[in-house]
Amino acid sequence: MKSISLYEEKASFVHDVDPITKLWYIPFAILIPIILPSFTISFLFIGLSLVLLLGAKVIRKTIPVFGFVFLILITVVLIQGMFKPENETVLFQIGPLTMYKEGLLFALTITLRVINIICAFMILVLTTKPSDLVEALVRKGMSPRIGYVIVSVFQIIPEMMATMSTITDAQRARGMETEGKLLVRIKAFIPLLGPVVLGSLINTKERAMALEVRGFNSQAPKTYLYEEKTYQFSKVLQIGMLLLTMAAVSWRIFL
Amino acid sequence: MKKIIVEGLKYKYPLADSLALNDVTFDIKQGEFIGIIGKNLAGKSTLCQALVGLVPHFYKGAYGGKVIVDGLEVKNHSIADLSLKVGMVFQNPFTQVTGSKTTVYEEIAFGLENIGIPRTEIIERIDSVLDLLNIEQVKDHNPFDLSGGQMQRMAIASIIAMKPDILVLDEPTSQLDPAGSEEVFQAIQSLSKQGITVILAEHKMEKIAQYCDRVLLLNNGKVVDFDTPGKIFSREDLEGYGLTAPVYTRVCKALGVKKAGTDEYPVTLEEAERVLRGDGA
Ligand SMILES: Nc1ncnc2c1ncn2[C@@H]1O[C@H](COP(=O)(O)OP(=O)(O)OP(=O)(O)O)[C@@H](O)[C@H]1O
Ligand SMILES: [Mg+2]
Repeated sequence: MKSISLYEEKASFVHDVDPITKLWYIPFAILIPIILPSFTISFLFIGLSLVLLLGAKVIRKTIPVFGFVFLILITVVLIQGMFKPENETVLFQIGPLTMYKEGLLFALTITLRVINIICAFMILVLTTKPSDLVEALVRKGMSPRIGYVIVSVFQIIPEMMATMSTITDAQRARGMETEGKLLVRIKAFIPLLGPVVLGSLINTKERAMALEVRGFNSQAPKTYLYEEKTYQFSKVLQIGMLLLTMAAVSWRIFL
Repeated sequence: MKKIIVEGLKYKYPLADSLALNDVTFDIKQGEFIGIIGKNLAGKSTLCQALVGLVPHFYKGAYGGKVIVDGLEVKNHSIADLSLKVGMVFQNPFTQVTGSKTTVYEEIAFGLENIGIPRTEIIERIDSVLDLLNIEQVKDHNPFDLSGGQMQRMAIASIIAMKPDILVLDEPTSQLDPAGSEEVFQAIQSLSKQGITVILAEHKMEKIAQYCDRVLLLNNGKVVDFDTPGKIFSREDLEGYGLTAPVYTRVCKALGVKKAGTDEYPVTLEEAERVLRGDGA
């Protein structure tokens, strides 16, 4: 069974941290550099996140994501560096193109923010099994219905893709061209939509009925097959992050 | 004791032109094993769904008459309430996979978690249904990676684990080979012997004849007859309802041999053998 989740099962101290703590780390890592807007703080957080990703042995999985993000960030740097309205101080010139200091500094701020956010999210996504995160949230009081939707998406989308490839194979067996030029591929794709979309609508209706008779809308308090996982240091880490955030806010206000 | 009472049940799906169930009346006693037969679109699935409350609560549509299941009037109770008393297994095993669990074991736990069964009991129940339906060897597999037959066993196991008093099964063995079907029927029969009321819609007439106490014959949403397999399959007008009697019955009919002292033809292999060997006469 293929999975569309980026999670990889590995043994590391990051994997052993409570999903909720990792979830809290995201707003923490995003907020502090906003409260204390200095390059040092931003670099500090990116450094911390990278160390955690390295420690979790998932750094290689971040490369394609960063590759994509850098592509976008380069355009930000170029546009801001050349055209930001506040641009005054010329840094350097390449042919007819002039780069300005103000724009580049602004672009650097944005770049650091974006990398910081991506790193924080990746720690959660790459080291947490989606169903563990959802179960932890449901135990904390999130609606089991919302939880179901989130978790099932990770399984049902690959299922739909499998259906799609079965139908493509069947059509290819009947002599339909499905590979080659873009136009050929598009032509091959359109007749797929009918059976796949209609099929999944019918499936959704039937699945909803099957869920109903299995007590999906039961008012009884839910129980769990697995015992609640206990994580070490959850409280310490969460309180630590809270205290640091408060410290940052008071630093900003009083100093 | 009457476990299920259906009185003048009429039902029309939203947007449909004709009634899917038309004035259906019958009752079923606790512990009976009931078969529902009828040609395609006769209304078997609709009737099954009327017993668990999907008709009318899930579909809406026009509904008349009364269905009382274990003392609860279906019209006035939610599907969740009814699901504690009646379990239903559907025709298509694939759409009964929840999609939110990654192993067969967790999949079976889904319903039990929803109705709040304590953890230790969940584990006991799962182990027992895995054994009953003979799917222990795939308990750690992903539900979507099972064969059709294994999925069907898992779907049945998931419902049986919820320990309903009444079990409704809509063609539960369509994806199973003959040996697999036989095994599943044996498992259902063992539950029936423990006092569970079983209602089963099925096209395999030999199985109906072998396992059911009584058979409900449906045609165009109406009850044609509700009687023992012997009486139902001995009807002369069966073909008019798009059905063929079990092969044993047809052979005996062709030979003109009836069960001793009755007006019925044999419906199972054992009965036919007894009559044809002449030692039952
Ligand atoms: N969801 C639906 N919406 C509208 N009409 C429906 C729906 N499901 C079934 N029907 C109609 O209700 C009638 C009874 O169908 P039902 O599915 O109960 O038959 P069945 O006996 O189970 O057939 P099969 O042997 O094919 O499973 C048919 O006329 C069918 O067209
Ligand atoms: Mg049906």
